[in-house]
Amino acid sequence: MEVIKINNLVKRFPMGKGYFTALNKINLSFEKGEFAGFVGPSGSGKTTLLNIIGSLDTPSDGSVIVMGKSVSDLTYKQSARLRNKHIGFIFQTYNLLPVYTVFENVEFSLLLQNISASERKKAVMEALEWLDIADKAKSKPNMLSGGECQRVAIARAMVKKPEIILADEPTANLDSENSHRILQTMKKLNEELKVSFLFATHDEKVMKYLDRIIALVDGRVASDEKNISKLEIKV
Amino acid sequence: MIAIKLAFRNLLGAGLRTWLNVSVLSFAFVLIIFYNGMIDGWNRQARNDTRDWEIGQGQFWHPDYDRYDPYTIKESHSQLSDEINILIKENKLTPILITQATIYPQGRMQGIILKGIDPKQKILKLPSSYLENVQDEYSAIIGKRMAESTKLKVGDNVLVRWRDKNGTFDARDIKIAAIFNCDVPSVDNGQMYISLNVLQKMMNLENEATLLVAGKDYSGGKLENWEFKNQEFLLEDFNKLIQAKKAGGVIIQGLLLIIALLAIFDTQVLSIFRRQKEIGTYIALGMTRLQVVGIFTVEGGAHSILAALLGAAYGIPLFMYFNTVGISFGAPDMGLTIAKTIYPYYSIKLIITSIILVVLSATIVSYLPARKISKMNPTDALRGKLQ
Ligand SMILES: Nc1ncnc2c1ncn2[C@@H]1O[C@H](COP(=O)(O)OP(=O)(O)OP(=O)(O)O)[C@@H](O)[C@H]1O
Ligand SMILES: [Mg+2]
Repeated sequence: MEVIKINNLVKRFPMGKGYFTALNKINLSFEKGEFAGFVGPSGSGKTTLLNIIGSLDTPSDGSVIVMGKSVSDLTYKQSARLRNKHIGFIFQTYNLLPVYTVFENVEFSLLLQNISASERKKAVMEALEWLDIADKAKSKPNMLSGGECQRVAIARAMVKKPEIILADEPTANLDSENSHRILQTMKKLNEELKVSFLFATHDEKVMKYLDRIIALVDGRVASDEKNISKLEIKV
Repeated sequence: MIAIKLAFRNLLGAGLRTWLNVSVLSFAFVLIIFYNGMIDGWNRQARNDTRDWEIGQGQFWHPDYDRYDPYTIKESHSQLSDEINILIKENKLTPILITQATIYPQGRMQGIILKGIDPKQKILKLPSSYLENVQDEYSAIIGKRMAESTKLKVGDNVLVRWRDKNGTFDARDIKIAAIFNCDVPSVDNGQMYISLNVLQKMMNLENEATLLVAGKDYSGGKLENWEFKNQEFLLEDFNKLIQAKKAGGVIIQGLLLIIALLAIFDTQVLSIFRRQKEIGTYIALGMTRLQVVGIFTVEGGAHSILAALLGAAYGIPLFMYFNTVGISFGAPDMGLTIAKTIYPYYSIKLIITSIILVVLSATIVSYLPARKISKMNPTDALRGKLQ
């Protein structure tokens, strides 16, 4: 089953008098449960592509169908709902809400969904335990290390049991030990809960974990290789 | 709900800046309530005093009488009917006869209003009983201001000259029987009170009066040939004065409020600029941009709630203190009806209107910058790339 289908996607940004084409005729599709990543040099369009898939941005041309719905046709409310229920975001800079505790940060998406307090608590604690940071539930983000922050961010993305998690350079601010730890957790999430992961990354460490690597160059798909990790295991 | 919780968290998290804004706003709050409470207290006391000393529950005037035109006094008097005399006996009305006269204290000359009042009356606080059963029937009471300006003391005699109804001058010494202390200047300044019967005799106007003051027990019915003037009419000048005082206060309160609101506005602009990433994150987590506008608006507006709490923390003890001790004006005579000590009066209406005013204005100035969020591009916000 396809969770994401991208047809002839073009994204242009106004620039000076003309346009800058950040994404050019992208055609891709992703099955449920993929663990895939966009790689490529800076400015190649990785973040832009993730943003459009996450309906934070809209295509200039072509279509992006996420879970059967075209993101360009969604109203603000519908796209907010799509992000709230079905898509988790993980950012390079964690983007935790500074005034909230770890527990409340993770709880946030559920608050928007009118889920009862007891159910929220159960889901949040489950997610925190999954990421092995339940003991920090009452801490504020500024009391955590970078690795812990990113684990909270993952807990926040997974607590709502989304179909898709979009991770933009999730390891860029982490040392290699923490990077591996996070990637292993995400891989486990992917395998056990069948959450589809899409990364944007420069990081070699991340690439080692990916089942599928899509190289972007100047907004075009330069290569699309599947089952890499399996290949690697064979080598 | 989330918005409110988040708002308070963010506000309290912002620390000093929040408290600065909140302090200024709370100061505006307290000042608005205090100033208006003082005016209301003054107003209430003054109205009560004026009612007790001068106007009662309203007055019936001779149709020609005009309090601003002394020339009408001469002709504005008429006979008291039997019906009225019964009401007077029952203490429901008290008649007053008014004429112009001249006094000669210590050789100087001064025009005054001479008023005849019933020594037995209980409707006004004027100590008319001093005029009762006095051996020498030509005795008078005056107020403290009048006593000061004429240098008359209790027991002094003063020469009074008047015209009777035919215009014939007459004069005689009148003895000051008592000096009363009253906060209503119009009862005091240039006024002298003698027994009604005496004045009627002096003027040759047996059983006549210029006006009738209604007491609490008066039924409110009309009287033929007399025009009823209610309290509002009689307090018209004073009400205008109170309105003017309130309007005067609006300027300083408004300025303070505007300063506080500008500070909030500034904080909001800055906070929306600084927290773009947070705004982008809210949107990524599934809020609509309008919900985020809501969060920031509530957050700015919540300054006013904190200000109300802070204002209450120091305002309530302050208000209670002044309410028991009162505010003394050291009795400089301003020609206004004003008690020496004013007890501020804080009505529920005053407090609620002030709260609504402050909360509403703080929310509006918070909404104005927050509106910008609805035009933000979430990806730009996430990158913190807005100018
Ligand atoms: N809002 C925008 N307005 C104008 N140009 C933009 C905008 N967003 C992105 N771009 C341009 O589009 C191109 C692709 O940007 P994008 O952020 O997707 O690259 P990236 O592959 O994520 O790079 P990096 O690895 O540095 O994160 C860049 O040249 C960038 O300058
Ligand atoms: Mg990028």
